[in-house]
Amino acid sequence: MTSGTRVDGGVRGENAPLIQLKNCRMEFPGVVALDDVSFTLLPGECHGLVGENGAGKSTLSKCIIGENHMTEGELYVEGKKIRIHSYSVKDSQRLGIQAVHQEFQLMNDMTGLENIFIGHYQTRYGMINWRALGRKAAELMDFLQCEVNLNVPVKYLRTAEKQIVQLAKAVLSESKVLILDELTAVLQEKDILNIYRIIGILKKRGMGVIYISHRLNEIFECCDSYTVLCDGRQMNSGRVTDIDKPKLIKMIIGRELTQAFPPINEVFGDTMLEVRGLSAQKAFRDISFSVRSGEVIGLAGLLGAGKTELVHAIFGNHRTVAGTIHIKGKETRIKNPQQAKKLGIGLIPDERRTLGLNMLFDIKDNTVLPSMEKFRKFKFFQDHAAEAKAAFEINERLELSYYSLWQNVKNLSGGNQQKIIIAKWMLRNSEIILLDEHTRGIDVGAKFEIYKLINEFTKQGKCVVLVSPELEELMGLCNRIYIMFEGSIMDVVEGERRTQEVIIHSLLGVS
Amino acid sequence: MSDIDRKTKRSGGVWKVFLRDWIILILLLVLVLLCSVFLEKFRTTNNIMNILRQASFTAIIAMGEFFAILTGQMDMSVSSVIGMVSIFFAGFVVKLGLPVWVAIVLVLAMAVVIGLINGLLVVYGKMPSFIATLVVMNVVRGVNYLYSRGLPISGLPEGFNFLGSGYVGIVPFPVILMFFVALVLYVVTAHTSPGRSFYAVGGNLEASKLSGINVNYIGVLAFVFSAVLTGVGALGLTAKTLAGNVTLGDDLLFDVMTIVVLGGTSLMGGRGRIFGVVIGALFLQVIGNAMVLLSINTYWQWVVKGAILIIVVLIDSNTKRDVITAKGKTPHKHPEEG
Repeated sequence: MTSGTRVDGGVRGENAPLIQLKNCRMEFPGVVALDDVSFTLLPGECHGLVGENGAGKSTLSKCIIGENHMTEGELYVEGKKIRIHSYSVKDSQRLGIQAVHQEFQLMNDMTGLENIFIGHYQTRYGMINWRALGRKAAELMDFLQCEVNLNVPVKYLRTAEKQIVQLAKAVLSESKVLILDELTAVLQEKDILNIYRIIGILKKRGMGVIYISHRLNEIFECCDSYTVLCDGRQMNSGRVTDIDKPKLIKMIIGRELTQAFPPINEVFGDTMLEVRGLSAQKAFRDISFSVRSGEVIGLAGLLGAGKTELVHAIFGNHRTVAGTIHIKGKETRIKNPQQAKKLGIGLIPDERRTLGLNMLFDIKDNTVLPSMEKFRKFKFFQDHAAEAKAAFEINERLELSYYSLWQNVKNLSGGNQQKIIIAKWMLRNSEIILLDEHTRGIDVGAKFEIYKLINEFTKQGKCVVLVSPELEELMGLCNRIYIMFEGSIMDVVEGERRTQEVIIHSLLGVS
Repeated sequence: MSDIDRKTKRSGGVWKVFLRDWIILILLLVLVLLCSVFLEKFRTTNNIMNILRQASFTAIIAMGEFFAILTGQMDMSVSSVIGMVSIFFAGFVVKLGLPVWVAIVLVLAMAVVIGLINGLLVVYGKMPSFIATLVVMNVVRGVNYLYSRGLPISGLPEGFNFLGSGYVGIVPFPVILMFFVALVLYVVTAHTSPGRSFYAVGGNLEASKLSGINVNYIGVLAFVFSAVLTGVGALGLTAKTLAGNVTLGDDLLFDVMTIVVLGGTSLMGGRGRIFGVVIGALFLQVIGNAMVLLSINTYWQWVVKGAILIIVVLIDSNTKRDVITAKGKTPHKHPEEG
C-alpha cells in the first residue's frame, strides 16, 4: 500500500468500482475547471467521456491519474480512499492506472520490444534476458491477438501499430484502469476496429477503460456507459444503451448558442484570397476556397485533417506540390513568410509560446518584430521612440493589461500574450489574417475580446481565415465553414445548413 | 505621470536589469580595485595600457564569436581563420608584393568566404554548428599548412606595425580600434533591424520566421560577422610581430569562448551585450596580468581560465531564462499552460 492511500469507506468486494470519484471540484486560479462531477468506473466496463474542447475531459482524467489535484471531492481506487493532496502520477501508476495519449510516448529509435519492457527489464547474471522478454512479448501479442513486428525501431511502424505497442506497454504493467485519451483521433476506420477489439479483450480480463473521444460513433460502438461534460459540469451519465446519437449531441452542446458572438458582417468586397487546387505532400490535397474582403471563413476538422499545414502553406511556411494562391486576383507564389508578410498576410499560430512570441523579448520588441522596417531613421537606424509609441497605441486599442512596454512577455496571461501576437499583425495593417486555434487555452473573457477584434477586422474590409476546434466558435464567427477530413475539403457549410449536427457529421467523415 | 509616459518609458526594475546584465562590470571593477591595492606594479599607467592593448584584439575576435553565440550557434573555426588571415596576408605582401591595403581586402574577403561556408552548412545544410565549423576549422588549417609548409613568413613593412603596437598620445591604437569596433557593433545590434534580428533568431527561431524575419539570411550573416571580425583581430595580432604565422590563433578559441560567456552572452542564444564582450576580455586579461605579476606559473592560467568558464556556464545554465516581473504584478498562470 502506498503512503497516499488508506482503507476506509467506499464499496469493496468482487464488484467494487475500480474508480469512484465523488463531487469532484477542480479550480485553477480564476477558472472553475470541474464543478461537482461524480464518476464511477466498474471492472470490465468501458466508460466514454465526451464533451466539447475545454469541457473538462482531460482535466478529469488528469485528476484520476494524479497530474492535477482536485480542490474538493473524494477519490476511491478499488474502494480505497485516496489522500488527494499527496496523490501523484507515481501513486496512480502503482495502483494500476495507466494513461495512453494520442501523442506517442515511445522512444522512436528503440524497437517495439525495448519500448514495451523499458523499465521492466528482466535480467539474468546482470544482463538483459532478451529471449525471455521476447517470449513474454509474444504471449502478450497473442493475448491481444495482434501481429506487430517488435524487432524494428518503432519509427518504422505505422501509426496504428505504434498505438498497439503503447497499449501493450500499458497492459504489461498489470494495470487495472486504462485511460485512452483521443487514441483514435489519428487512426483510420480499420485500425479503430482493431482498437475496439483489444478493448473488448481487456474488458473480459476485468480491466476498466476510460475512453475519451470526439467521435461520437465510437461511444456507441465500444462503450458501455457514458458521462457528458459541459463547461466543467456533469451534464449526464448513464448506460449507452439508453440513449441515441441525437440525444447525445444535444447533451454535449448543452445549451443554445449563447449570444457571446458579435453579429457576423455581411458586407463583402472583392475576393482577397483565393486558393485553387492546393496540395502538399501528406498533409492536404486539392484544396480550393476563396475569401472576400469583410468575410470570415472557418476551417474545421479533426486533428490531422491538415488545417494547420494549410494555413502555414498560405503563409509560405509549408511546401506545396501543386495548386496556386491568388491574392487580390493576382496569382502569387509565396515561397517564405517574408513574402507572405509583404503581401499583407498575417499568421497567428497555434503555439503561442513556441511559434508566436519570443520569450526573451519585451512587449514592445515582440509587437514591432514584423514591422521593424516601418520605424527607420535615415533608412538604417531603428527609431525606438517611434516603435514604443506605435506599440503603445496598438496595445491600448487591444486593451492589453500590462504595466510597461518593457515588461517581459513571459509572465503575461495566455489571453494577453495572444493579443500581442494579434497586435503584431495589426501594426503592419495586414489585410489577410490567418488565425490558427487562436483561443486555445485562454479564458472566456479574453476569447470574447478576440471575437470582437475579428469582427472589427471584417468591418475594416480585412478578411479572416479561422482554424478552430470549437464548433461553437466557428458557427458564431464564420460566414462560411469548410470542413476538412484527412486532407481534403469534405463539405462547405453556410447559411441555413450551418448547424452543429451537420458539421459534426462531416467532421467525422460520414455524409 | 500619465499612462503613456508610464508605459513607454523605462522605469521600474531598471536597476535589476542593469545588475543582471552588468554584474561582470562590477566584478571587473572589484578585481581592478583589489589588484591596484595589493599589487604595486599593477597600478602603473604603463601596465594598465598594456592590459588594454593585449585584450583588444582578442576582444575584437570575441565580438565575432558573440554573433554566432547570440544566434544560438557556435563558431569553432576561429583559430584556423586567424592562422589563415595571418599567413595569407603575409604571403600576399611579402611573396606577391601586393600593397598592404589590397592584401587586407583580399584576406578579409577570404574570411567572408569562410563565414559564408560556415553559415551555409549550418543554415541550409542544417548541420549542427559545432560539427560544421569544426570541419571547416580542420580544412582551413590544412590549407594554411599547405600554403606555408608550416613556416612563418616574416618581413612585413615596418609601417604596418602601427596597427598592432602604435600609440595615439598615450593610448595604444589597438585600444582605440577595439572601442571603435565595439561602438559600431553596438549601434548595429541595438539600433538596426538586422542587429535586433540576431536577438530574435537566437531567442526563438520559429517565432522569428513566422514574424517574417529572414532567418536564413540572419543565420548566415552571424557566421560572416564572426569570420570577418576574427580576420580583423588576426591582422592586428599579425601586425604585432610583423610576421604571418599559421599557429597564431591555436590557443585562442578557448579564451574567445570564455570572454563571450563571461560578458553575459547566453550559450542558448538570444541574450547578450556587445560591451559585455569587451568587459569580459578585460576581465580575463586582468586576471592573467595579475597572475604574471604575482609570478605564478603561467600554466596555472589555463586551470584558472577553465575554472572561470565552468563557473560562468554553470550560472548561465542554471539561471531561469525568465526576467523580472514588473512591480506589483504577480505572474498569472493559466491552467492549460501550467
